[in-house]
Amino acid sequence: MTCELFKTFIADPMKLVGEWFVILPAVVLLLSAAAAVVVRNLIHAALLLTLSFIALGITFIALGAEFVGFVQLLVYVGAVAMIIVFAILLTRPDRLTKSGSALSGIGPAGGAAVGFALLAALLAFIFSSPMARKPLPAPVSAPVAAIGEALMGDYVVALIAIGVLLTAALVGAAVIAMEDKP
Amino acid sequence: MTLQIVLAISAVLFALGLAAALSRSNAIMILIGIELMLGAANLNFIAFWRFSDNPSDLAGIMFAIFSIAVAAAEAAVGLAIIILVHRRIKSVEADDASNLKG
Repeated sequence: MTCELFKTFIADPMKLVGEWFVILPAVVLLLSAAAAVVVRNLIHAALLLTLSFIALGITFIALGAEFVGFVQLLVYVGAVAMIIVFAILLTRPDRLTKSGSALSGIGPAGGAAVGFALLAALLAFIFSSPMARKPLPAPVSAPVAAIGEALMGDYVVALIAIGVLLTAALVGAAVIAMEDKP
Repeated sequence: MTLQIVLAISAVLFALGLAAALSRSNAIMILIGIELMLGAANLNFIAFWRFSDNPSDLAGIMFAIFSIAVAAAEAAVGLAIIILVHRRIKSVEADDASNLKG
C-alpha cells in the first residue's frame, strides 16, 4: 500500500496532493529568499538562502524534473551553500563595519525600486501573454536514462565544454585564493 | 495551475535577487543575490519544459543542468575573489575595493 502510494507520488505528484505540491514549496522559496535579502546578519542570510535552495529543489521535483531537483539539492545545498558559509566565516570583519550598509550609489530604496519596476514589467508581460495561460499538460517525466543518453549524445560537446569550464574555474579559484608567495 | 503562476513565482524571485545585488554593499550579499537570480532562470527553464507540447525534448532539462554547473563554478570563483580581496584590504564591502592596483 505504502509502496503503491509512493509510486503514484513519484509518477505524478499532482494527482496525489494537487497543485499545492508546487505552490507550497514555492511560497517557502519566496519567503525565505525575501528574508535572506533583507536580513542584516550574514550567517542568517546564508542559512535562509540554503532553505530557499531546498525549496527550489522541491519545486523542481514537483514540476516533474526529479533529476534537476536532486542536482539542485546536491550542488546548491551541498556545495554552494557550504562554500558561502565558509567564505563568510573566513572574512569576518576585523573592524566594525557598517553592517548591511547601503551601497553609496543606489541604496536599499533604489534597489527595491529597480526590483519593483522590473517585477511590474515582467508580471505585465506574463499576465498579458496568451501563451502563459496554458493549462498544465498531462504529467511528464524525464527518465534519468533518457537524460544520460541525451548528455552522451546530442549534448556531448556541451558536456565536455562544461567539464573544461569547471576544471579551469576551480583551478583558477584555488590559484586566486592561494597565499601570496614571499 | 497555469504557466502564469510558475512564471510569476520566478519573476518575484528574480526581482528579489536583483534588489539584493543592487542594494547590498557586502560582496557576499551581492553573490547571494546573483544566486537567487540564477535560480529564477532555472525555474523558468523547468517551467517551460513542463508546459511544453513536446516534453520528450529534454532541452529545458539540459539547460537547467548546465546552468547549475556554471553557477557552481561562478560561486567558487566569486568567493575566491572575495577571500583574496579580504586578505588585501581587510574588508568585504564592495565600495572599499576601489583601487585597481593598491
